[in-house]
Amino acid sequence: MEATTKMKSISRRRFLKKTGWVAAGITVASFGAFPVVRDKIPALPTFDAPSEKDGLTWIQILADGRVRFYCPRMEMGQGAALGLTQVVAEELNIKQADIDCILPDTDHTPPFQMTVGSQSIVNFFDPVSWAAAQLREALRAVAAEKTGLSTEQILDGRSGFKLPDGTTIGYAALVPATDVIITDNRLIENDNLKRYALLPTTKHQTIGQNWLHHDLTAIVTGRMAYARDISLPDMAFGAVVQPPSFGAQLVAANSARALELPGVLGVEIDEAAGFVGVVASTPFILSEALDVLDVEWQIESDFGQEQIDTLLDVERLRADDNFTHTLDQSGDLEIGQQSARHRSSGRYDTPFAAHAAMEPRSGLVWVRADKVEVWCGTQDPFFVQKRVAKILDRKVEDVVVHTHRIGGGFGGRVMCQASEAAARLSAKFNLPVRVQWDRAAEFQNNYFQPGFSHFIDAGVSQDGFITHWDHDVVSSSILTGLAPGLIGKAIDLATPDQGTTRGIRAPYEMTNRRTRHSAIRTPVPINAWRGLGSAPNAFAIESMMDELAFKSGIDPLQFRLKNLLANRARLAKVLRKVGDMSNWGQVAIPDTGRGLACAVYKEETAVAVVADLTIDHAAKTIKVTKVCCAQDCGLVLNPHQVESQIMGNITWGCSMTLNEQITFAQGRVEQNNFHLYEPLRHGSSPEVNVALLSPPGTPPAPVGESALPPVPAAIANAVFAATGYRCRSLPITYEDIFAETG
Amino acid sequence: MEIVINGNVIAVPDDLQNVTLLDFLRDFVMLTGTKFGCGVGLCGACTVHLDGVAARSCQTYVSDIINVEVTTIEGLDQTSPGEGLHPVQQAWIAEGVPQCGYCQAGQIMTASALLHRNPAPTDAEIREEMNGNLCRCGTYDRIRRAITRVAQEA
Repeated sequence: MEATTKMKSISRRRFLKKTGWVAAGITVASFGAFPVVRDKIPALPTFDAPSEKDGLTWIQILADGRVRFYCPRMEMGQGAALGLTQVVAEELNIKQADIDCILPDTDHTPPFQMTVGSQSIVNFFDPVSWAAAQLREALRAVAAEKTGLSTEQILDGRSGFKLPDGTTIGYAALVPATDVIITDNRLIENDNLKRYALLPTTKHQTIGQNWLHHDLTAIVTGRMAYARDISLPDMAFGAVVQPPSFGAQLVAANSARALELPGVLGVEIDEAAGFVGVVASTPFILSEALDVLDVEWQIESDFGQEQIDTLLDVERLRADDNFTHTLDQSGDLEIGQQSARHRSSGRYDTPFAAHAAMEPRSGLVWVRADKVEVWCGTQDPFFVQKRVAKILDRKVEDVVVHTHRIGGGFGGRVMCQASEAAARLSAKFNLPVRVQWDRAAEFQNNYFQPGFSHFIDAGVSQDGFITHWDHDVVSSSILTGLAPGLIGKAIDLATPDQGTTRGIRAPYEMTNRRTRHSAIRTPVPINAWRGLGSAPNAFAIESMMDELAFKSGIDPLQFRLKNLLANRARLAKVLRKVGDMSNWGQVAIPDTGRGLACAVYKEETAVAVVADLTIDHAAKTIKVTKVCCAQDCGLVLNPHQVESQIMGNITWGCSMTLNEQITFAQGRVEQNNFHLYEPLRHGSSPEVNVALLSPPGTPPAPVGESALPPVPAAIANAVFAATGYRCRSLPITYEDIFAETG
Repeated sequence: MEIVINGNVIAVPDDLQNVTLLDFLRDFVMLTGTKFGCGVGLCGACTVHLDGVAARSCQTYVSDIINVEVTTIEGLDQTSPGEGLHPVQQAWIAEGVPQCGYCQAGQIMTASALLHRNPAPTDAEIREEMNGNLCRCGTYDRIRRAITRVAQEA
């Protein structure tokens, strides 16, 4: 993974010049080692986390005293740019109106880590704060030179400084006509650099305020430009024939009838690449052109759900006692089993799932002799840049990716296959070409959350402590889910997938424990989906915790608190908090139920939720009416944004628990639109009540996916409370419960 | 034929009378605020007003729009008295509703049509009316708060 970039000594100044950074203004720059994109194969996503000095290329003060912030995060609704903007403002003592936050194109900044894994604040808070503080101190030095005072005499003011005589000097007055570059040897040593973002929260001016996102007005007036909304004069419109099943090989295509249609400019057939695409001067003829393209495919795989279910069977692997990896092992399971007063065991299954983001992807590409321009929405523009360069056999630096706000990502927008298709067509027909996927293409051709199959056998002692925990799980590797055939199998044997096993270690004291894992490979493309393995894993763990609490006759909240690991004090606090918020312990009324669950996301963010639901026998529905959530994600830059993310995760959690399931037949996905894969709708969405805990001095922790893991188990536990029926397989439906309970 | 979109008379070329209003808006009139989500009337991202009533533009053909005024998200502010944004747009900002924002034009068009017809909807009425507009980011709770805010401020 380190191979994606290498440290190469080039002039950062040259880079900055090239991108127009230094035209007017002050830039703090560091010369020397500097990450650049490497042309060599293969094109891989951008994994490297940022260093402090990367931050220097993101922030600049302009001649008018305003700050330009190329926020190194792609925007898909998580709003990380807003929190990071507040960090810049905190360090530079400026207002929101003084800062232009720009979604960077690939020629605006050096490559930065792809926007995944709820890391935007966690990984970028520090370099943004450091770089903004360096810029502030550089400006202070300029002010000192200008006034003949020492830097100690130049005090912070609003958008500038205060002088000892009571006058003020704004940043605008400090920016000279010629560019100023502050080099390495003028950077402030870390020990001497004041970092306002790191001060106690009571000292913060902007961090912790509910600034509203700078894109809101554009969004509510329909003027926000998503990739689908971009057009160029004289562009052509492209469409691609999608393969009928996973891995289908193109045999032949006949374009004669399509070429007769009015407006069709041409058809590109590339058998080696498995590509058939049509280009037209009008978008209105494309669907007809696709219909009359005569394409022959060789079907490589006609697998269906039965084959997948056979592979995804934890009990079969247990019967063979055959797991690839032992993730943890301590004590002695037999001794634990013998000391158990109450014992429970069960299999928990979760299905494959789709991202179903609201915006089907789109790419507009213009290939020219000297430059290739791409307009798209992606979680990793530098990956798209490399992929397009590779397809066109061009240098990476010839390709510029213009980025756009993404209409929903959730892990599903790292690749932008529509851009790759548009690149092929633009190169062939010498025109700018736009390719847009429809909903069916989005369902069929993206990658998926894999199914999970768990088995847990556990017990509780006379005095309410967990005696043993024997947990096996089979699923598919997620982070390496797109690795080809034998390489993928070799990876699975070598190492357990960090995404699949995310959150697999229950946060409870269990002396006698063992967790084992095996991965299966199927033709289904697998990769990141919100939270990766964390929600399926927490579903199994927190359902079993509820079963053990019930069998022991201990309240589920008390049972968790009693068994929590000693180092999980922050989780204990959110558990108690959610108990208070929800008035936990009140007597349930018939056909209503409440369930509790908790998790620690990525070993950092502690979350507990209580879900209330009602069973409607007339409508034959289960409806989650209210969810209370307490979360400790450390320092909160913008509480409103964090609450929005929590609401989003809870809605997502209800949806995956009650509605979502991808199935396969004849080598393809059976669901092609929202009638067959229906995310939770407004009428079924719960009221959400959020409390944020933020212990003093704690750094920011992940937010974008952290409230999701406990939601499915909380709902399943609430179903048990309401009906006495233990749902161990998602999605949970009314019919399943009442068919089984009779 | 001609149709009226946001108060402007637009001449429809003969060969585009049989395209959907959604495609016509996005690819001919270049009003891209109205979004494509599913193409079959299941998600509500393409919602516009036809004479003030919410309708799915992906299920409406240009040739069907006779003597009907079309309002899109770009023209919504013209339908409310006074300067500035429509009260529903203002409430959406005040409550910080959008996340990715892609579905929000459709949500706002459905909500504004509801409030036009029923200035004080109950929670159940809001849920029922908004049920056809999907949001994958999970902004439903904030949408209810924004609609309630408009009703209370009216």
